[in-house]
Amino acid sequence: MEYILGILELSAINLVAVLGLSILTGFTGLFSFGHAGFMAIGAYIAAIMTKFWGLPFWLAILAAGLAAGLVSVLLGRLTLKLKGDYFCIATMGFGEAIRLVFSNWAYVNGARGMDRIPQFRGLDLAIPFVVALLAVVVAWNLVNSRQGRNLVAVREEELAAQMAGIDVMRSKMVALVVSAVLAGIAGALMANFIGFIAPKSFNMTKSTELTIIVIFGGLGSISGSVVGAFLLTALPEIFRAFSDWRLVFYGLAVIVIMVGRPQGLLGGSELTPSGIRKMMAARRARIEFAKAKSSGGGAA
Amino acid sequence: MRLRTFVIALLVLSLALAGCAGTGSAGNVVKIGWFGPLTGDTALWGQAEFNTVKMMVDDYNAAGGIDVGGKKYKLEAVGYDDKGDSTEAVNVMKRLVSQDKVVAVVGPQGSGEAIPIAPVAADNKVPYVATTATNPKVTVQDDGKVNAYSYRACFTDPYQGKVAAYFAYQKLGKKSAAIFMTVDDAYSAGLAQYFKESFEKLGGKVVAQESFASGEKDFRAPLTKIKAANPDVIFMPNYYTDVALSAKQARDLGIKQLLLGGDGWPSENLIQLAGNALEGCLFINHLDFDGAAAAPMRAEYKAKFQKNAELNSYMAHDAFVMIVDAMKRAKSIKPVDIKAALDTTDLAVGTGNNDYLTNPITGHIKIGPTHDPVGKTAWLIKIVGPDMKFQESFAAQE
Amino acid sequence: MNLFLQQLVNGLSIGSIYALMAVGYSLVYSIMNFSNFAHGSVIMLGAYFGYYAMTILGLPFAGAAVAAALGSGLVAVALERLAYKPLRDRRAPFLYFIITAMGASMFIDNSVIATIGPTPKMYPEIFGQGPIALGQINVGRIDLAMLVISAASLAALILFIDYTRVGKAIQATAYNMKASALMGISPNFVVILVFAIGGALAGIAGILYGMKYQVFPQIGAITIKSFIAAVFGGLGSLPGALLGALLLGLLETFVSGYIPNGTQYRDLWVYLLLIIVLIVRPAGIMGKSSEDKA
Repeated sequence: MEYILGILELSAINLVAVLGLSILTGFTGLFSFGHAGFMAIGAYIAAIMTKFWGLPFWLAILAAGLAAGLVSVLLGRLTLKLKGDYFCIATMGFGEAIRLVFSNWAYVNGARGMDRIPQFRGLDLAIPFVVALLAVVVAWNLVNSRQGRNLVAVREEELAAQMAGIDVMRSKMVALVVSAVLAGIAGALMANFIGFIAPKSFNMTKSTELTIIVIFGGLGSISGSVVGAFLLTALPEIFRAFSDWRLVFYGLAVIVIMVGRPQGLLGGSELTPSGIRKMMAARRARIEFAKAKSSGGGAA
Repeated sequence: MRLRTFVIALLVLSLALAGCAGTGSAGNVVKIGWFGPLTGDTALWGQAEFNTVKMMVDDYNAAGGIDVGGKKYKLEAVGYDDKGDSTEAVNVMKRLVSQDKVVAVVGPQGSGEAIPIAPVAADNKVPYVATTATNPKVTVQDDGKVNAYSYRACFTDPYQGKVAAYFAYQKLGKKSAAIFMTVDDAYSAGLAQYFKESFEKLGGKVVAQESFASGEKDFRAPLTKIKAANPDVIFMPNYYTDVALSAKQARDLGIKQLLLGGDGWPSENLIQLAGNALEGCLFINHLDFDGAAAAPMRAEYKAKFQKNAELNSYMAHDAFVMIVDAMKRAKSIKPVDIKAALDTTDLAVGTGNNDYLTNPITGHIKIGPTHDPVGKTAWLIKIVGPDMKFQESFAAQE
Repeated sequence: MNLFLQQLVNGLSIGSIYALMAVGYSLVYSIMNFSNFAHGSVIMLGAYFGYYAMTILGLPFAGAAVAAALGSGLVAVALERLAYKPLRDRRAPFLYFIITAMGASMFIDNSVIATIGPTPKMYPEIFGQGPIALGQINVGRIDLAMLVISAASLAALILFIDYTRVGKAIQATAYNMKASALMGISPNFVVILVFAIGGALAGIAGILYGMKYQVFPQIGAITIKSFIAAVFGGLGSLPGALLGALLLGLLETFVSGYIPNGTQYRDLWVYLLLIIVLIVRPAGIMGKSSEDKA
């Protein structure tokens, strides 16, 4: 039972980070190779505050998000005006640089990592779930607001969005900061859940794994990210026997999804009553269209 | 819609599978856990360990199982890959103790993985016996408290550093040394530090200390600095893949000094990867591969897996023997009882005659108050051609 | 002084590896306007192709190099056809290309880990052992060989692009794909050719890398350095990639050699420089300042 609870907790923690990336990549169309860096910042802030300074969890989590957010503002100022490729390479550099900074910082024991970080016990174990829930609410409200629609406009056609009066830079910055704050909070939760962190865990593979969850769940879908986070955290545990092949499968899945079904699981749709109705209507329409095409096609 | 139905089915299936909680060591089967790197840089050693664990389980079961307090039990091995990553190690340890409900764990092999799992073992009251994790923090915390459920079958780095310094200074007469270590590895950095302390205490001088990050492949810049400092000997407490590569690059730069190393060197692949860059160099090992005590296991492993057993195979063997011995003396398969018995482990080294299932191979193992073997023998090995030749052994009073 | 010269040699030797990697990547970028993040995996495969060509097929170095170039070229083209072309046809957003490239590299890298295994392999010593001493400076034999081969490959490439008809076709397509198509140049053909050449260069970079160091599945991770080198020199410019790579190699070596504890912080300096370049002169040293950088 403790084991299953552990998997659910990890799913919730991943979900928080994934929601952030969903907003950045899924809704705004920016790809980041370095979000593990924001997680690292959050994780270390929380670890330092709870282990060395004995501060309570909720304070550490807030500080973690704040710190990550501030760093992202700086990063955004420097890099958001760059074209797509350059932005990606910059985020790559950022993620690796953060990892290096922590690897070389003796205060946090450098590359060997910090152990014996105060862990959630008893009722505190509910914290990740509460935070995840809050994150879903915040993300949902954001993407369904005018700002959220602005983000999608930027994703679809930047130039047109600019001409329609949307402040593109500001929208991108909002997306980046929100995603960074969420990643930082997720990092803090991770530190206080596992009780141990090391810079090695916050590498590019971690960043790309988070993005893969977003893709799998579907770009532009909050519910997709929720489903994806839980599925892709639980499945590797179940298929541990094949853990060699897990990343092979992920890589292949990404290619297949992008080429065959870019909307992933629920891309663009949500698991709300109206969302489900829309999906069913779309499906019905597709079937009708296929039928019409095959029957009417010959006659025309 | 088919995709959705499939996904829901997957979800249900996954929850169902996850829900099948491990049955634990019930009935007449005792589960022994293991984890280590099955992927990653040190995968060679992890695979060697896991092979050994499985081999020993088969051997014990073939001999009728083990007799604990009058009852016969069959053994079962449960092993996972920690990918050489500390966070993953914590994950799999949790899985082993709470889901698979093993009675004890053989491993891990890396100090970087053995240190963070100490609280997990203590919380769940399941002991583990690390195989080659030599960093002192595995069993003893910074404030001197002993980790209740952490044990190891090998000597520690302060001891190893002392032995290396002693060999370098006294036996080989090297008065100045340079150190080339892996900065982000607990083992390497720790061993380097202990070597430096001991070497300087003996009167030697460390004229250069350079480091690199793991994953790095080009060492020429720091090696050039070492060359400029002109040491008598170069101490390289790193893992064999980096040792081989850095030795070659050192020779390419015209560095002719003797290279000295620790227990990260021994591997079947070391000499093959290094060519003759390591000719005549020396390192500290936990045993003599060609010795009598190792012979029966060496033969059986080779026959079963078509490769030579690695250092880690022998260490895993010894850790396993410690656990079985503890179970027998405690007359119980309960993890807390096994832990209590581990505290009083005192096993003489095997002689190579049919005692391979009951006695350790790498030396006399007597567990002391810090859960480490006391005065465990260190073996100095020299690389001669394609072979590793035993030079001398050293068993200190800690 | 000798120390300085030795470090200079060290830096150029690292730089020449980055150069081969960066040029292949830059070539594809100049035509497709897209960063092939799977380039690193193609390089890694080149190292393995060459290794097996030498050990299992017993080919001499020249044969193995050809095998590596061919193998990698084929993989690159296959990647293009299977993963990128469908996206191009659908006019998929730029984001999809990056994601797919990332997926491809993950797939290739981990397939090698899962099948061949992560233990490094060593190329046989074909150039002999021991350094070549030029006075007090030592140069590895493989470094000299690499210098010659890299120079030859790059020269061949530049000659090809500038002086042959096909090369001009490539340039034309890079300039304007639609107009070139109207003039009778098949864009498909050019794309395949570019990926093949980029892949072949990657294959050669791979075998040289493998010979200089070791053969292991994570070689692809080095390529972030080659991306950075290409950015320094100016994305899309081949001479720029070369220059950027050499400078990067020198920077790394001098940070490592002259700054105390430099080796640990070395990469940090590289990223710092990257940020500076991106802020001050995103076009890089030799890049054409293009308005759509913003």
